[in-house]
Amino acid sequence: MTINSLIAQGMISSLLVYLLTKLNKKLGAFLTVLFSGYLLFVIFGFQNSAGEVFSLIHFGEFELTFMTSHYAWYFAIVLTLTYFLVSFFNPYWMKKMVNPAAYNMLFMVSMVGTVGVFYAKDFLTLFIFYEIVVWSSLFIIPMGKSRKTPVIYYTISSIGSFAMLYAIFYLYHSVGSFDIQAVSEAMSQAPNTYRFVFFTMIVAGLTKLGIFPFHTWLPAAHGSAPHTFSPVLSGGLVKVGGFIALITATVIPSFKILAGDLQLMGVPFENYLIMLLGAVSIVVGTLMAIKQEDAKKLIAYSTVSNSGYIIIGLMLNDQVGFAGGMMHVFNHAMASGAMFLSFAAIAYRTGTTKMSELGGLIKRMPLTFAAYLIAIISLAGIPPMSGFASKWLIFQGLASNGMMFIALAAFFGSIGSFLYVFRPLSAAFLGQLSPKHKDVKEVPWMMQIPLIIMSFLTIFYGIFPGRILAYISKIQESVGLKGVEIEGTKIIAATGMWDSLVITLVFGGGFMLAAILFFISPKAKPVDQMNTYTSGEFIYDPDHYHYAKNYYATFENNYGNKKRVELFFDAVALRVKEFGEMVKTMFFAKSVSFSIFWIMLFFTLVYFWGDKV
Amino acid sequence: MINPVLLIAIPLLAAFISVFIQKLSWVLLFGVSIFTAISGFFLQKGMFMIGGWKPPFGINLMIDDYSFIIIIVINLLFFLTLLSGMWELKKNKTILMVILAGINGLVMTGDLFNLFVFLEIITISGYILAASSDKYYSVFKYLVLGTLGSSLYLFGIMVLYGTLGTLNMADISQQFPNVSGSVKIISLTFVFAGLGVEAKLLPFNAWVKGIYGNTTPLTGPLFSTVFATGAIAVFGRIFGQILVPDSTLIFAFIALGLITFIFAETSAMASKKLRELLTFSSIGQAGLIITMFMIGGFYAALIQLINNAFAKTILFSYATKAYKSNGDDTINNMSGLFRKNVMMGFGFTVATLSLIGLPLFFGFYAKINMLQSAFALNMWIPALIILGSIIEGIYYIRLLVKLWNPGEEGQESSELAQSQFVIKNGFSLSLIAVLIGIIFVVSGIIPDFLTENIAKAADSLSDAATYLSTVLGGI
Repeated sequence: MTINSLIAQGMISSLLVYLLTKLNKKLGAFLTVLFSGYLLFVIFGFQNSAGEVFSLIHFGEFELTFMTSHYAWYFAIVLTLTYFLVSFFNPYWMKKMVNPAAYNMLFMVSMVGTVGVFYAKDFLTLFIFYEIVVWSSLFIIPMGKSRKTPVIYYTISSIGSFAMLYAIFYLYHSVGSFDIQAVSEAMSQAPNTYRFVFFTMIVAGLTKLGIFPFHTWLPAAHGSAPHTFSPVLSGGLVKVGGFIALITATVIPSFKILAGDLQLMGVPFENYLIMLLGAVSIVVGTLMAIKQEDAKKLIAYSTVSNSGYIIIGLMLNDQVGFAGGMMHVFNHAMASGAMFLSFAAIAYRTGTTKMSELGGLIKRMPLTFAAYLIAIISLAGIPPMSGFASKWLIFQGLASNGMMFIALAAFFGSIGSFLYVFRPLSAAFLGQLSPKHKDVKEVPWMMQIPLIIMSFLTIFYGIFPGRILAYISKIQESVGLKGVEIEGTKIIAATGMWDSLVITLVFGGGFMLAAILFFISPKAKPVDQMNTYTSGEFIYDPDHYHYAKNYYATFENNYGNKKRVELFFDAVALRVKEFGEMVKTMFFAKSVSFSIFWIMLFFTLVYFWGDKV
Repeated sequence: MINPVLLIAIPLLAAFISVFIQKLSWVLLFGVSIFTAISGFFLQKGMFMIGGWKPPFGINLMIDDYSFIIIIVINLLFFLTLLSGMWELKKNKTILMVILAGINGLVMTGDLFNLFVFLEIITISGYILAASSDKYYSVFKYLVLGTLGSSLYLFGIMVLYGTLGTLNMADISQQFPNVSGSVKIISLTFVFAGLGVEAKLLPFNAWVKGIYGNTTPLTGPLFSTVFATGAIAVFGRIFGQILVPDSTLIFAFIALGLITFIFAETSAMASKKLRELLTFSSIGQAGLIITMFMIGGFYAALIQLINNAFAKTILFSYATKAYKSNGDDTINNMSGLFRKNVMMGFGFTVATLSLIGLPLFFGFYAKINMLQSAFALNMWIPALIILGSIIEGIYYIRLLVKLWNPGEEGQESSELAQSQFVIKNGFSLSLIAVLIGIIFVVSGIIPDFLTENIAKAADSLSDAATYLSTVLGGI
């Protein structure tokens, strides 16, 4: 199997899925599971392949080609795995979708598109598939809760993608080739061209990752997308932005090309600026996530914060931090995927993701709870989950370069994440069971599969992070960096080493101790949510008595509630519209005299200025 | 091989006959349209003298690769327009045949005054057709500005005739570089302004909003595709080959094209009615394509011209039908309308995505070609083109999302919130939409099968020497 025929098969079978879903909704959904599994299987076979070239088609005078590489495989496997796992949820949502056939088709198209992005040999192929991913995912989002958010998504995304397109053609104009390798070689002679290209091209990565100030689409779109697509958006598609950043900064070796530029803390100032944006998104994402009422919006903001870690890691371009950033791509895909999926499971049973309407679901949905718990432990960067490994490596990278401010933001985000990931846990799973959800059951077995697999992978790579890091060190060597150093389960960095197995054992021991203490100590007495003292007043709305309402009120009051970036974008949009209205009144007025004026002005200007011809 | 004169003569003859035999007029109209649509492919290339006078003394028709492809496109578009607007023909059949003759002549003619005559034929027919919408004030405005445009154009060619003593395009293009600067600037600006009225360039296009914004299922696609393609094609011919402006003046024209593009796109962004939105999008596209012609990207301009024309056929047909069936075309009231007619929705979506220039659709090929030819000139024009495309994408995506997904904001999308609107008489449009949609997708993946002839056309436009030797070779 080759990449080009795989892409062609994917595109054709997406049409097939569309037709079959029209016939039978469930059948089409099962086909998405089947095909994404097949895609995962085939992509897995490319693990050790690098430098194989496949030609797709002649596109006019251009040629679209794919090339295998280690970094492409890594991203592709993370994405296809996310798609595959999420697709298990599809069959159960077909009844609720407004247009299931289109959903399944676009799901497939976006999945195949991501593979195309990663394996692209030249920038044109990369851009084509990037845009295919954008518009195919774009049309899934309005099937959920909002018709406005897809437009926000498209706007921000197209700012990025068109900036990238501009950079690509600028490169084509100056280098005469779309080929990434050729561009990379040519750029080593032309740092001035590359400096401009670096900033224009990386905008695409920033918008897709949701880095400040382009983060506004994440909570909007992820929060309102269909429940089954939010995990793909957050766990998967955001990583496409990480890939663009990787191409811009590492595959085209920015650290070598820009070595002559001002160096800040050991990296070129261009990379440092992007890292600063990453640090701001960590802080913004954390602070905003803390005060979200809706669990999906909360996870979306946590994605903003985690994208910050990824971009910081990737921009470090060193032995340790870069490995951490790359590993975080996988960890965050699994963790945020599991978080979104567990809330999709909750929504499937209860119909809501609002935290104040939930509560006490641990007794009804224990497996969903466990999956969520493992995911948040990983996301908060607590051992022995895999999230700890990547964050530790990023901290190491920051510390060894002496990047104080960014490290401060990274630590802030890590501690803040305890606050926000705990909120849905306590609000939805712990506490009292809302009387509305007395009859809720655990989700069907097929929806449990992805939760179990994601949890397993998170724990497994937490205990044996070396398995992933070994591959990442291969990637590092292939792009001209020093590979991360591993010895068995020991990971070695500048300031010391860390043995994941030992740490797991310690934590396991602690867990056992706590469990023993829990079982021998007296049990807490469960109290019904409505069983409360109200001075004889009748209680009708359980939501108001939910203890997770205004959970962090005191904390939130310390910073304002204005979404300043959103306000800014709204203002820009309003100005554009106002400008449009102005054009309408100035040039398309009811009276003809306006246009006679303009025509006169045109002739006058031409004659004043025209004698220079 | 078919003599190109027939493409003008037969529609005119049929128009005369239809005056006397009213009952057969629709047969004549469709017959003539099918004839021209098919014979466009078998058109004999070369120069044709009218009345036996050799150019530059007589009028000639010129079929090179450029006019060949434009003739095919325009006649196909005309046929599609008739199909989708066939319930609206009423008493306009004779006028339509006259328009067909006029537009064919406009594209093929090799004489500047003859071009003026054909331009007058189609604009006057345009006034009559536009008046069928009962918006007489808009028609009056169109009349005033159209007449102004024609007069400006006439004045421009008068100056040329006074200086060079000829109106033959080939002859003029040969002598034009030697003309003194002040004559050049006067004639060029007048011709530019005159054609700018029909080609919808800012600031000569004040009539467009009233006319395009109040179109019927017949006039909508007719004006926005057939007329627009013809006008822009003539623009490309005259300023790309015949009267090539000097490098200083051309920047004024390019600036005007880009201003049209960006201003119109922002106006479209501020529009709430579907036909008005499409109107401004048409203006914007006209500005973009004319810019491409001006900077010498003929290939990109032609691809975008064809892309825009076929896309707008679907878009305007759908919008006008929606208005005709429901008496309203406010976008907010149309939410979920595509769910009722999926075939039209598919065509509309593909056409829109192609117009924005997203990959997998033909428009993407147009966009990369545009950027490539724009970058050959400088860095700012592509940046402005990209800025306009972003704005264009936003409002079109907003439109598509609304039309596909019924539902209140904050609620899951569901059929319950669907619009009460219906589309009547949509069968022919469904077929057209699917057909064009499939062509857009296929040519978006393998553009070569469409672009081979377009490349030839672009070459023939940039190759003035061949044009000259074909027309004047006999002397």
